[in-house]
Amino acid sequence: MDTTLAQPQADAAQAVLGLADPAMAQAQLERVIADLGRMYRERNDALRALARAHHEALLRLSIAAEFRDDDTGVHIVRMGFLAEALALALGQNAAWAKLLRMAAPMHDIGKIGVPDNVLKKPGPLTHEERDVMNRHAQMGADILGASEVPLFKLASEVALSHHERFDGSGYPRGLAGAAIPLSGRIVAAVDYFDALTMDRCYRPALQDAQALEMMAGERGRLFDPLVVDTFLERAEDMVALRERINTHRPQFSALLDDEPLSALAP
Amino acid sequence: MKKILIVEDQPDIRKLIRMTLEFEDYEIHEAADGAFGLRMASAVGPDLVLLDVMMPGELDGLQVCQRIKSDPRLAGLKVVLLTARGQARDREAGQLAGADDYLVKPFSPLQLIETIDRLVAAA
Repeated sequence: MDTTLAQPQADAAQAVLGLADPAMAQAQLERVIADLGRMYRERNDALRALARAHHEALLRLSIAAEFRDDDTGVHIVRMGFLAEALALALGQNAAWAKLLRMAAPMHDIGKIGVPDNVLKKPGPLTHEERDVMNRHAQMGADILGASEVPLFKLASEVALSHHERFDGSGYPRGLAGAAIPLSGRIVAAVDYFDALTMDRCYRPALQDAQALEMMAGERGRLFDPLVVDTFLERAEDMVALRERINTHRPQFSALLDDEPLSALAP
Repeated sequence: MKKILIVEDQPDIRKLIRMTLEFEDYEIHEAADGAFGLRMASAVGPDLVLLDVMMPGELDGLQVCQRIKSDPRLAGLKVVLLTARGQARDREAGQLAGADDYLVKPFSPLQLIETIDRLVAAA
């Protein structure tokens, strides 16, 4: 389609719009930029609202998966805040640490796809049942990974890699060392500590000192030595943070918001 | 709040740039020539300078960019060049002067705000 106007028409259009007058042309441009700015902000607000709604839905699904395993759902909230604190202690920037806080609670979302007869089996799993159970990492990554939003890409990375082991004996890919994303190495350690120190239907919570000792024993085997060393160095802070979470019982919406850790004042 | 310094000799263009940068929450400073822009860069301590290349006066945008990039007191200050010329040679000159990015006039407001957001977020 030819969209160029014949010259007399173009002149007429310019005259009608007042664009022949440079001051008028400038004023018109400023109006257009002001409108563009409004649309830009509205678009960004809408995208943020959309990402938040998506995040909330996935967190609720994670809680649903978690309820089948642990009946409080607080583990998920602790995972977020403890992973953030450990990321900061490891020298990661605040923006990434916050993203990890929001992403880490979704690490076990794939358990939604594990049948009850496996997930809730009281005794040891058979080889086949173990395979079914281990599929939750990939299923979680698939549920979370259909997005270009950085938060969900990170969450997908965490879901996929949080059962990898530093020595390469983990699943699903058998990655070792730095080939395991840092997010997965952090969440693996935090998940281990938090799972040991919470009451389970089949055993009471372990003492912190005992759990820390067990973590130290897995240094370089299950876990990244640097992650373990940092966790042990900051163990007092991590335990204090966990206690604040247990006392305040923040709802999972605390994970969505921009509140810093300090909002959970002792 | 992050600070942005606009160095541009044409007041009308400067205003359009300022309006575009106000899409986001930036503290905006303006200078109408290179020498004044360079002094403002030291005085204000911006996070990013948006520099017109072709400006009358003792310093053009490329020279201001070189001086910023060779001044250790201004280490980490990001520079985006803005020019009416879009030839490969100018882009090379901008790279040689150490510019972090390079935009062509007439500028695209969305490209401008996205470029600046990206560089300032990385700063």
